[in-house]
Amino acid sequence: MLVISGVMNGAIYGLVALGFVLVYKSSGVLNFAQGYMLLLGAYLFWFFKVTLGAPIGVAMAAAVAAGFAVGALIERLALRRLIGQPLISMITVTIFLALVLEGLVSMTWGTYPLQHVEVFRESTLRLGRIVLTSQNLVACGLALAAAGALIVFFRYTRIGLAMRGVAEGHQIMQSMGINVRHILNVSWGLAGVAATVAGILLGSTFGFQLGLSQIGLLAIPAAFIGGLDSPEGALLGGLLIGVVESVVSGYVGNAAGVPAAFAILIATMLVRPYGFFGLERIERV
Amino acid sequence: MFRVPFYPPSGVYADSYEKDMRIVKTGTQRVLAALALAVLVLLPLVASSYHLRLLIGIGIAVIVGLGLNILTGYCGQLNVGQSAFMMVGGFTSGLLNAYWGWPFWAAVLPAGLAAAAVGVVFGIPSVRLKGLYLALATLGAQIILTWIALYGITVTAAGFSVEPVKLGSLAFNTPQKFYYLALVFTLGMTLAAKNLMRSRLGRAFIAIRDNDRAAEGMGIDIFRYKLLAFAICTFYAGVGGSLLVHYMMWAQLESFTLQDSIWYVAMIIVGGLGSIEGTIFGVVFITLLKELVLVVGPMAQERFTFLPIGAASGLLLVFIGSVAILFGILEPRGMAHRWSLVKAFYRLWPFGY
Repeated sequence: MLVISGVMNGAIYGLVALGFVLVYKSSGVLNFAQGYMLLLGAYLFWFFKVTLGAPIGVAMAAAVAAGFAVGALIERLALRRLIGQPLISMITVTIFLALVLEGLVSMTWGTYPLQHVEVFRESTLRLGRIVLTSQNLVACGLALAAAGALIVFFRYTRIGLAMRGVAEGHQIMQSMGINVRHILNVSWGLAGVAATVAGILLGSTFGFQLGLSQIGLLAIPAAFIGGLDSPEGALLGGLLIGVVESVVSGYVGNAAGVPAAFAILIATMLVRPYGFFGLERIERV
Repeated sequence: MFRVPFYPPSGVYADSYEKDMRIVKTGTQRVLAALALAVLVLLPLVASSYHLRLLIGIGIAVIVGLGLNILTGYCGQLNVGQSAFMMVGGFTSGLLNAYWGWPFWAAVLPAGLAAAAVGVVFGIPSVRLKGLYLALATLGAQIILTWIALYGITVTAAGFSVEPVKLGSLAFNTPQKFYYLALVFTLGMTLAAKNLMRSRLGRAFIAIRDNDRAAEGMGIDIFRYKLLAFAICTFYAGVGGSLLVHYMMWAQLESFTLQDSIWYVAMIIVGGLGSIEGTIFGVVFITLLKELVLVVGPMAQERFTFLPIGAASGLLLVFIGSVAILFGILEPRGMAHRWSLVKAFYRLWPFGY
């Protein structure tokens, strides 16, 4: 039971981790704001659905489009100006972006949880002793589908391949006739999309509240364990973290899941510094 | 020596190594430093308790920020869990004091060392990692350590009272008295940091930051020095935490959150990475900004009733986050660089260069 619900949530963590990987792969930046992009995405969906009263499909589409816009806007306004600066300043900027996003959300919608939105019809499914809600299943399926789409996108489409190239070296790709800025912009936009979809799914399960960003934090160990530059790894890492989180908090209690996930992260750093599916870069002096 | 009395010198020239190594180089600087010290010492006579509390907060934050700047600014390792290490120091010294009756003076060093030991444990992943992944390990440190303090140890979860610092029969239990303690600690730790970073150790850190492969090629044991930077950084945090706990006379988990850790990063970014003076500028600037928003926020909340509950706390995040981002984009070298431009302008005036 715990394992199954872990897998369900894990698929969503995997999706968030994919957003993390998308940005890392194209620019080498660890995006600490990913969890907060998720938060904003979830609240935007809530805004379209409840405040504007749009039907669920329209609200989702609008939120995803807005998520893309948010990601692209962040790249355009903040990170593009930092191209050529040391990585550390880019990464710290994403940390402060996280603050700004959280602040904007709590300035617009307040710090209390919002009214619940039923995204999927509630019904339960019994498989022996295991109880699944249809909500869980649909969320998991959607997350897996979105993650799969992103993986295929990376492997086979022109722009996805260009992103992998940009990760190798900005100058080289620029001289190969690929517009690096455009690629970076799109990858941030897609990270926003992944975060928004995950935000909607998590919001429908855990409620629309500021704590969602905490859940988004779990994507960081997920992405790292899988290997920061590997989309498949991110998905598997997400599933692993989901299971660990659910089992540990089930048996130990006291919200031990998140620290456990980070303990695994640190252990992975010691054993496999490039994650389990990441590209190893061997350096010798 | 021939001198033209009217024009300022075009630079400060030393004719011996001893003179070149001085921090306070010229007569003017000596006078200014003495004046600044006098102002700092005499301040409690005129300042109100509110201002003194603000200054004590700044002093403690300067100590913690200096540690962070040594690790992040000099050695190039990002640390987003500084307040967790502060917590280790604060709780160590608080527990030693509250349960075993150790005075502050005996507990402050163990507090720093305990924080440093924990810091080194979380620094160990740097054996195999290059670049900035250590930021993730420190984020893990923040989350894991907070969890341990919240669920692992019953005393620290609830918070407990700590005795004030005593020196003979004198107890530092009011802002007026504690101010002097904070002043002494801040000045001492600042001087220590300044001198450490001018020594062989500081140069090794800078070499690792600028190019780790070249540094290794020059015979610097990267792993050892990175751990050392971690240890120094967390030692400063531990001492700062110990001071904070004894100042508030109450040790609690809420003083050490992830958000506080991020404020420290903001302070050193705004002030200037790799600059001791910059740390002080940044801490003062961000602390005053925070205070301003804490005053303006509730007023805005009252005036604009359409804002939801909790908007004031959001305002703080947006405001300081944006300031830090703007500094990152427009002035990556921080206020310290601006200050050095001002100094250069003063020295060269009326000429351009």
